[in-house]
Amino acid sequence: MAILLHQATAALYLLAGIVAWLGLALGARRLERGSVAILTLGGALHLVAFGALHALDPPPPLTDLPIAISYMACVGVLFFLLLSQWARLAGLVVGVAPVAFVSTFAGALRLHDVAGETLGRAGTLPHAHVLLASAGLACLGLAGLAGLLFLAEHRRLKAKRPLGFRFDLPSLEALDRVNLLSLVVGFPLLTLGVVTGAIWVDAVEGRFWSGSQHEIWSVLAWFIYAAVVAARFGAAQGARTAAASAVVGFIFLTFAVIGVGVFV
Amino acid sequence: MRILLVGMNHRTAPLELRERLAVDDPAAPLQKLVAETEIDEAVLFSTCNRVELVVVTRSVEAARLCLRGFFARELGARSGIDDMSQYLYEYLDGDAMRHVLRVASSLDSMVVGEPQILGQTKDAFQRANECKAAGPLLGRLFQHAFATAKRVRTETGIAERPVSVARVAVDLARQIFEELGDKRAVLVGAGEMIEMALGALRGAGLRSVSVVNRTPERALELAARFGATAHALDELAALVAEADVILSCIGGERPILTVPLVQQARRGRHRQPLFVIDIGVPRNADPELDSLDDVYLYDIDDLSSLARENAEQRQRESARAEAIVEEERQRFDGWLMALRAVPTIKHLRERAESIRSAELERALRRPSLKGVDPEALDQLTRSMVNKILHAPVSRLRREAEREEGMAYLEAARVLFGLDDDSPAEDE
Repeated sequence: MAILLHQATAALYLLAGIVAWLGLALGARRLERGSVAILTLGGALHLVAFGALHALDPPPPLTDLPIAISYMACVGVLFFLLLSQWARLAGLVVGVAPVAFVSTFAGALRLHDVAGETLGRAGTLPHAHVLLASAGLACLGLAGLAGLLFLAEHRRLKAKRPLGFRFDLPSLEALDRVNLLSLVVGFPLLTLGVVTGAIWVDAVEGRFWSGSQHEIWSVLAWFIYAAVVAARFGAAQGARTAAASAVVGFIFLTFAVIGVGVFV
Repeated sequence: MRILLVGMNHRTAPLELRERLAVDDPAAPLQKLVAETEIDEAVLFSTCNRVELVVVTRSVEAARLCLRGFFARELGARSGIDDMSQYLYEYLDGDAMRHVLRVASSLDSMVVGEPQILGQTKDAFQRANECKAAGPLLGRLFQHAFATAKRVRTETGIAERPVSVARVAVDLARQIFEELGDKRAVLVGAGEMIEMALGALRGAGLRSVSVVNRTPERALELAARFGATAHALDELAALVAEADVILSCIGGERPILTVPLVQQARRGRHRQPLFVIDIGVPRNADPELDSLDDVYLYDIDDLSSLARENAEQRQRESARAEAIVEEERQRFDGWLMALRAVPTIKHLRERAESIRSAELERALRRPSLKGVDPEALDQLTRSMVNKILHAPVSRLRREAEREEGMAYLEAARVLFGLDDDSPAEDE
């Protein structure tokens, strides 16, 4: 059931992405609104899917990377939909929906393999670590996406070029606010994720720091974000620099969490 | 029934003529046209860019004379021109339908895609309807035109991008700010251009406006008209500190919005974007302002260039719109042609019904059918006739929508003897 729900969620995200891109190509606002509605449905189903996963006996470990990424997509989509309530963000579905689809689809594929696995003696700490760190990563990912779009729009406006397509893109002001709010929510979650990660290591190995690549890069990423937050709230940073920082920070964080496991 | 359209527009007649020909109240001329002539239905369409009469008539020649006479008599007298024919164009049937659809869809407008024309077309039809000059055919044509205009707007980008400098500025403001309602604008200057741009910004929701001018009287006058506050030029720096949008068009050799002034004024407003619209010539804002991260500076050339590109984009989109108009014209034409089948179908049904009722009456008189329920027999024969006629009637309706459908209608009349005088039951 949980697998089926994940697959259905992935299908909805895919559909939302297709509708959003069709809306972009045809300049149809109805499709744009439709894509948001489908994404909302996908987000709701994603929550139900995770509920079903939790109800399994034993629940599969969230520490598995594809499942964690699927959870990240769920938080990212829900946070995005929340922010859409007060800013014209519908145009961002073209980016959010495909990313959510790939993440959820990968998670759904992986669920077959991890069914029946347990977390071992670390108890609920790994789940807490993954839930917090992934939620933080999702929010900071949204900040990165908003930052990327801000930079592109800023560049276009400075170059005095017209919009290349008929689509309601978010305003620079909205993108900057999304960046700010995502940082405000994402950084504390990331911090809690790092802390619970250290406690988990302590529970397993009897020390807070094991010196693994994942730990080193994650802490480095945390310091980078701490600097981004300090610059954003403490220094006289402009919106463009803040956007660029969010993009760079997220690239580094993605490498620290996902890339290190693959490349290092 | 034929549809004829005679009129003049911005392409065929100069503005001086068009402005003298505007018809404020079309009721009287329309009623006169419908009452006294060969014209069955009429709609008069009068805006600053066009005066057109579209009519339904049985005699094109008579209607043509009548409409040309209308332009010469009613409008020529007002304009002082004896020969109006050089300014007039004429469209018949399919061309007239296409023209009405194009006008409603804003494809025939001076600024292609402008939104007002649809409302004006609706208004013209409404007025004709109120004075009973518009009938079922023009009613259907105009409803079809409104639906076509809606389709054109939804399916093409013909009205998506602004083409006036003021509208381009508003569009840019929306790309920078999420809401304009809570933003503060400073207007430097109080001339006509400023007034026009202010009107557009106000229309987009901008509320808080300060007017700065060298001549305080003019600033006060403009401020009073738009509910803004008036200020002296030496207050500019303080106002820039609070501004989100600066709109400038003031005379002077040197820029008054300089980098040091803006930098100093906005020291405490990091991350707050500032949109500077400089429509002054010579420029009022130092071009170097654009190098500041949070400042978006657009001068008159930038705005004009965007407006031009948008107009070109609209032209490109208009090709798609023309295809929609043509498709809809053919659909309406099909409906109109299908009307040709109505008299034949009606006649055919009447003939069949007269045969059925006569035969039923005769049958019920026979002694062998005594005791049979007449209601049941009536129902039975009615059902048989309907079933027999269903296929030929449907085919006739379908074929009538095509040009060559007349042959089917004629064949039906011959085969069913619809033009014979002798009653069918005697044959």
